[in-house]
Amino acid sequence: MNHNAANSSDNNSDRESGATRGQSGPRARSAWAVTRSVWFAMFMREAIGRTMTDRMGWFWMIAEPALMLLMMIGIRSFIRGDSLIVNAPFIPWMLVGLMGFFLIREGMQQGLGAVNANKALFAYRQVHPADGVLVRNALDGLIRTLIFLLFMLGGLMLDTDFRPDNAYQAIGGWLSLWLFGLGLGLVTSVLGTLVPELGKIVKMISLPLLILSGVIMPLNQLPHYLLEYLMLNPIVHGLEYLRHGFFDGYQVVHGTSLTYFWTWTLSSLAMGLLMHVRFKERLKSQ
Amino acid sequence: MIEIQNLSKRFYQSHYSQSDDHWVLKDINLTIPTGVSVGLLGANGAGKSTLLRLIAGMDTPQKGRVVRHSRVSWPIGLAAGLQSSMTGRQNVKFVARLHGTQYDINGIIKKVQDFAEIGPAFDEPIRTYSSGMRSRLNFGLSLAFNFDVYLSDEATAVGDRSFKAKASKAFKDKVGEASLIMVSHSEGILKDLCQAGIYLKEGQAYWYDNINDAIAAYHEDSDGPQLDKLSLAELQKLRVERRQLLDEVKLAREAIESLSPRERKTYGDTLRAARESLSEVREEIESRQSKAS
Repeated sequence: MNHNAANSSDNNSDRESGATRGQSGPRARSAWAVTRSVWFAMFMREAIGRTMTDRMGWFWMIAEPALMLLMMIGIRSFIRGDSLIVNAPFIPWMLVGLMGFFLIREGMQQGLGAVNANKALFAYRQVHPADGVLVRNALDGLIRTLIFLLFMLGGLMLDTDFRPDNAYQAIGGWLSLWLFGLGLGLVTSVLGTLVPELGKIVKMISLPLLILSGVIMPLNQLPHYLLEYLMLNPIVHGLEYLRHGFFDGYQVVHGTSLTYFWTWTLSSLAMGLLMHVRFKERLKSQ
Repeated sequence: MIEIQNLSKRFYQSHYSQSDDHWVLKDINLTIPTGVSVGLLGANGAGKSTLLRLIAGMDTPQKGRVVRHSRVSWPIGLAAGLQSSMTGRQNVKFVARLHGTQYDINGIIKKVQDFAEIGPAFDEPIRTYSSGMRSRLNFGLSLAFNFDVYLSDEATAVGDRSFKAKASKAFKDKVGEASLIMVSHSEGILKDLCQAGIYLKEGQAYWYDNINDAIAAYHEDSDGPQLDKLSLAELQKLRVERRQLLDEVKLAREAIESLSPRERKTYGDTLRAARESLSEVREEIESRQSKAS
């Protein structure tokens, strides 16, 4: 990664000076050690910023998805009854979809602001623009995992069938979605900073994407010719895989392929990291 | 020791001005020896802060490179390195963590707090700070780490008397362990703290072993040549040169008659300056002649 390369050059020179003059004080650190302390420092900073600076930050972190969920359930059960999805209870089905979708959407939107929010910190040459995005995304994923677990606990206490039938698959699907969110975040952080107009578009497509990804209504009911196009959207594949982990007999949308999803994930990660290497200086001076 | 090799830096103002070839720093080669404090001099926009940022590794040059053989701080100054939504304490913690676990974070917080002396504001967000408080915090923060070279970009410019005294005392205490590269328009501070000087002019850097020579060179260029010290022959030569310059400017001024008034303004200013400098020489010559006769 760009990170290690840049830091190692600093550190080689640090090491020389330490050896020639035998000074007391901190030893030169390896590139990995520098990176680790950067991530640690930024993580703590970001965590405090997210939870403490906003009024009732903790409360809204849980209340926001909960209210969203209540609204969606309200609308859906008003339109039609509960028995829509084959072999899966409706509310957990939708909750799993919503949480998975939010993970990706937040990954994208957090990425948009990540570079500008950390601008003041580029004064320290250890900090690279990519660090801000990585740390933010990791923190966001952790918070969302916690919230998801809380909802599952709540659901189990309310006696709904919220226990994942295949825990490994559920965890795997969740982590895959997280990584895809990170990849998208890396890409949007570069594009959104260099071309601010793109930020508006990303925010704009998030609602249509919610519907097109089959979060609220099952895509299985749609005609096949439409489905062919909708299945180009990689988020559907990830969400369906995650749902299948939760509900064993659940009929995934025809054509769901984890390979397709991972192709997108890995490409977006590679693309994002490459863009950060290429545009590092532009991002710093932006 | 810091080696600066073939360093060139330019800024693209917009997509349209890429064609005009304006380098802020052009092909600079310098070696700043260990233990020598250096003052950076130059007019506004000469590239002092840019050079400092390049030395700090905050910016990358278009050409050339900077090799740091020692631990170099970030540029201490007004804008640098404080996140305005976080409190002073959180900022200090962040920087301490950034520099690794071998530092004792609580010790550093204590040190910075003692140096900055900003009282309860230490736990308030940075955006509520005055510029003086910011520079106190930033300065104290940089002193808490053991750097070999400290970079200062007008770090003490907004400080009050006692803070300035404290800052220069802190640096004098560090003599022998650490050196300083500083940008300042206060020549008193430069003379006080620096031994050598770098004078930046038109993208070039000139090294002076003595800071006083650098200051003198800067003065000479910003004030123009001292007319009363020149001989009569030199004055006559200068007069001819300035006459020619004025004619050129006049021609240029006439040629651009069709432009908008805003664009013409700079030409008008140049013309006026040329005319004034000519009349200055003329008056000097006349006064000499009247004295002689």
